[in-house]
Amino acid sequence: FTKMKAAKEESRPSKKVTYDDDDDDDDDIDWEMSSDSSSSESDGGEGPGTTVYTAAMFLKKQPGEEKKEKKEKKEKRVKKKREEDEGGEWEEVTKGAPMIKEAPKMFAKDTEVNHEAVIKKLNEIISARGKKGTDRNEQIALLKELQSISNANNLGPAISMKIMFHIISAIYDYNPNIATCMRSEMWEKCLAGVSELLDMVEANPDINIGENILEESENVTTPPYRVRGCVLTIVERMDEEFTKMLQACDAHSTEYVDRLKDEKEVCVILDRLQTYLVPRGTTEEICRVYLRRIEHMYYKFDPEAYDNPKLENKSFKDMEEMCKFIYAKDLTDRLRTRSMLCQIYHQALHDRWYQARDLMLMSHLQDTIQHSDVPTQILYNRTMVQLGLCAFRKGNIRDAHNALVDIQSGGRAKELLAQGLLLQRQHERTPEQEKIEKRRLLPYHMHINLELLECVYLVSAMLIEVPYMAAHEMDARRRMISKNFHHVMRMSERQALTGPPESMREHVVAASKAMKTGNWKECKNYIINEKMNAKVWELFYKSETVQEMVTSKIQEESLRTYLFTYSSVYDSLSLETLAEMFEIDQGVVHSIISKMIINEELMASLDEPTHTVVMHRTEPTRLQSLALQLSEKVSSLVDNNERIMELKQGNLFFQKSGGMQDRQDRFQGNYQQNRNQNWQDRRNQRQNYSQRERAY
Amino acid sequence: MAEFDLTTRMGQYLDRHLVFPLLEFLSVKELYDEKEMLKGKLDLLSNTNMVDFAMDVHKNLYPDQDVPNSLKGKRQDVVAQLKSLQAETELITKIFEDPEVVRQMQSSRDGRQLYEFLNKEHGFEASMVDTLYTYAKFQYECGNYSGAAEYLYFVRVLLPSTDSHFLDAMWGKLASEILMQNWETALDDLQKLKDIIDSNPFGSALQNLQQRTWLIHWSLFVFFNHPKGRDLIIDMFIYQPLYLNAIQTTCSHILRYLTTAVITNKSRRRTVMKDLVKVIQQESYKYKDPITEFVECLYVNFDFDGAQQKLRECEEVLVNDFFLVACLDDFIENARLLIFETFCRIHECISINMLAEKLNMTEEDAERWIVNLIRNARLDAKIDSKLGHVVMGAQAVSPYQQVIEKTKGLAFRSQMLAMNIEKKLGIKTGDLPQWGQE
Repeated sequence: FTKMKAAKEESRPSKKVTYDDDDDDDDDIDWEMSSDSSSSESDGGEGPGTTVYTAAMFLKKQPGEEKKEKKEKKEKRVKKKREEDEGGEWEEVTKGAPMIKEAPKMFAKDTEVNHEAVIKKLNEIISARGKKGTDRNEQIALLKELQSISNANNLGPAISMKIMFHIISAIYDYNPNIATCMRSEMWEKCLAGVSELLDMVEANPDINIGENILEESENVTTPPYRVRGCVLTIVERMDEEFTKMLQACDAHSTEYVDRLKDEKEVCVILDRLQTYLVPRGTTEEICRVYLRRIEHMYYKFDPEAYDNPKLENKSFKDMEEMCKFIYAKDLTDRLRTRSMLCQIYHQALHDRWYQARDLMLMSHLQDTIQHSDVPTQILYNRTMVQLGLCAFRKGNIRDAHNALVDIQSGGRAKELLAQGLLLQRQHERTPEQEKIEKRRLLPYHMHINLELLECVYLVSAMLIEVPYMAAHEMDARRRMISKNFHHVMRMSERQALTGPPESMREHVVAASKAMKTGNWKECKNYIINEKMNAKVWELFYKSETVQEMVTSKIQEESLRTYLFTYSSVYDSLSLETLAEMFEIDQGVVHSIISKMIINEELMASLDEPTHTVVMHRTEPTRLQSLALQLSEKVSSLVDNNERIMELKQGNLFFQKSGGMQDRQDRFQGNYQQNRNQNWQDRRNQRQNYSQRERAY
Repeated sequence: MAEFDLTTRMGQYLDRHLVFPLLEFLSVKELYDEKEMLKGKLDLLSNTNMVDFAMDVHKNLYPDQDVPNSLKGKRQDVVAQLKSLQAETELITKIFEDPEVVRQMQSSRDGRQLYEFLNKEHGFEASMVDTLYTYAKFQYECGNYSGAAEYLYFVRVLLPSTDSHFLDAMWGKLASEILMQNWETALDDLQKLKDIIDSNPFGSALQNLQQRTWLIHWSLFVFFNHPKGRDLIIDMFIYQPLYLNAIQTTCSHILRYLTTAVITNKSRRRTVMKDLVKVIQQESYKYKDPITEFVECLYVNFDFDGAQQKLRECEEVLVNDFFLVACLDDFIENARLLIFETFCRIHECISINMLAEKLNMTEEDAERWIVNLIRNARLDAKIDSKLGHVVMGAQAVSPYQQVIEKTKGLAFRSQMLAMNIEKKLGIKTGDLPQWGQE
């Protein structure tokens, strides 16, 4: 039962990751293969930032590898040699030549720079890609130079675009390790490169770009141009690199803030990509770019949209359109699931509770989510949390509790939301696993405040659990609604000395204790005070309304608790006094008490002419209550027997199973029943958010 | 009261011809401008062949204008078309007029068998069914519903259920029966259509949803006119999850009719109300009108003054609703009873004048009403006429009774269990040597 979603997948790396790992291995193999032949090739040239890294790689593979420093030259040097020799000469470069070396030249002075020549050169440069000795920095420079030559010679936009594609992939190649991010200079280069590429693509809408265009069928010389490449993949990769950059930064440093400023740029690029792709891309591509945009939008809060729910806000409209497109056109299911979760998150974030709830229920995601990949499950968890917070803000305490209970009950919210790694008690992670998990973590700016989450959960649990406990004090069969809440309460009871509350949790505990005695004022003062405001409530937009809501809920639930607890000492109670005591409107008191009477929670009835509640003396004597308990137990025993019988039906080994087995079955049956009942109840209310209910 | 009028919302799920009764009703009630109503009618008629009707409406709308030529031309077209179709179907109708065929029709249930018979005896061909279908459609367009229903009956019998026209024929038949107000047959057709839709012939969920939504709307005609309808509507709309789902997703305004049906249904009200309240609460953000709010006030908030207020509004709404106008008195009486029932369950002492106010009656009427209730043994109470109070009888359940309730069935159930086990043991001892050998 305690098996958690994320825990299940911890051991299973996502598909994408495996793929990347393979890539990594391939790289390594390449390195080794080329090591013998390329001792003369120059390597090094690593910037200071990555030196450590590459060095580590070298040490692992070829400990004795010598490193050479080489400086590149930017300006174009034209030599007298023919191009064929060019490459040769470049390889001949003497090893160990320590200082300024002449950068490889592009073209011989007298060669005519035409399309073939440039392409030949290009192929030459990129054939060195991935080889051990290749200076990756220099490659980028070479390609850039080539591009400027081709531009200088007016060879047309297509070839320049082709080279641009290669420049960007060279930048991506720069960092051979998938787990780390690129250096910030590289990132800036990359960002500039991609937006330059988009400039080109936009400026030349007649160029046909496609992944499926073969190298041979490319046409870069005359219109109609055909170029091999895929802008979408490049932008997607850029987006991933961006996430990695953010993951690598310390969330509280200025560096992070600087990096985060690029978010805007990334969004602009995605926007431009969308305008480019929508008229010409396949639906699949459009879905992909839409999802990228959605994933950059969904967690952003827009107060304007919040304040005017009627107003057709741009982000909402966009989101809705894109999501609808994906729902209708997507074939992969993954994109649909993700976009749906994002939309729910977005709506919940802006307090559109009904829409979010209905979408969540209609999607039936809670039934299938455990079959999807880890990042999607994380997104699901995030969405559930957001939905819970939204329900809380809207005053739907029970919904809030149901939505949050799964995340909060194991005490591993941090991990389930991918906001940090937890120390594991039972078993250590392998470094490999840790790496995978770290890669999944969300950048800091997308985090959901965990303290807020816990506080909302505990307060909702308090509002449900305290009156429930008061009502079922005598009941032998009462169930715990919130294990976590009970745990927190027990922890505080164990303390020998309880001082004034300090932390959020202590505040809630103190408030619960006050509520137990029906002291709503004290309870409210513990929940809403300056400390708690600063810690929790002010994190909500328009926190005053939330505070008001919490206050009124506390009043109502305290009243209920009070009635449950002290009804036995009263013969009659006047509604007016109650209304005064709890500072609630008399009509509300009337409605609350009526509800309790109808639900047979309170054995009483109202006396209308005098406005009083008259208690019915139905408190059973000790003997009677014992008899009632006994009858209940007997009937549950029969229930269980019947269930066992059902289970045994068709079981051939009926006789073999001894008492042990029987008892186990009974236990399981009981358990199952409770579970099922619980499940059923929630389903009936269309509120079954928990997908783990059944996976005990 | 126009704000609670649902005709525009309903109209989009109804057939043109089915909207006419609604519009007629509205023009009698004079909720809207007469001119606009007529214009709307004319628009509706433009796509049908009921040219004479259209001319009438046109005359009403523009008394000083002549009937436009387009209508006259259309009339000629229609007549010509009718003639040609009649000629085409003459042969077929002749076949069906043969008493032998009629007898055969009634006796044989199987369409294929009948088809073979007709083919052999009268040279009936497959294409003739299509002709018949077109003719029936045309008849329907002209407003000759009885003819349409008759021909569609044959079409439905003769067509295989896989044919593309089959479902259309079913819908056409249902509409014709509704318009002729043959509620028995309509209910029959409705059931058949429902079975077909539930067998999911389309495959796509969206289409299923659409068909269900249509069916829900069309069925209102039947349910609110057929004597058993108010039971059936509950069965179909609340206890069939597919239909409840359709209501919740596409047409929450149907809740008004559902709620009315539940309130006026004396025998099942108690059990159904809980489920209904749940649905109403879930959808309250999407749809509410005085009727659903009345239920909410009474069962969610226990706000009796509010319920009273809403009950008054309900009256207005009901009077102006085509489907519900017939059950107005029934509704009011039952709603009162509901308020009172709930009131009694909560209170043990009520002053009569307050009650009269809550029930929207004079004090004397209220007293008489309560006396009647007590006399009919539906209420355990006494009237204290000196103070003007109604005092309820005690209703507390004693623990003895509780224990008896709880343990009532146990002996029987245990006995059943024991018997089952014995039976099983008997089998197992017989089997034992067998699987011992394995």
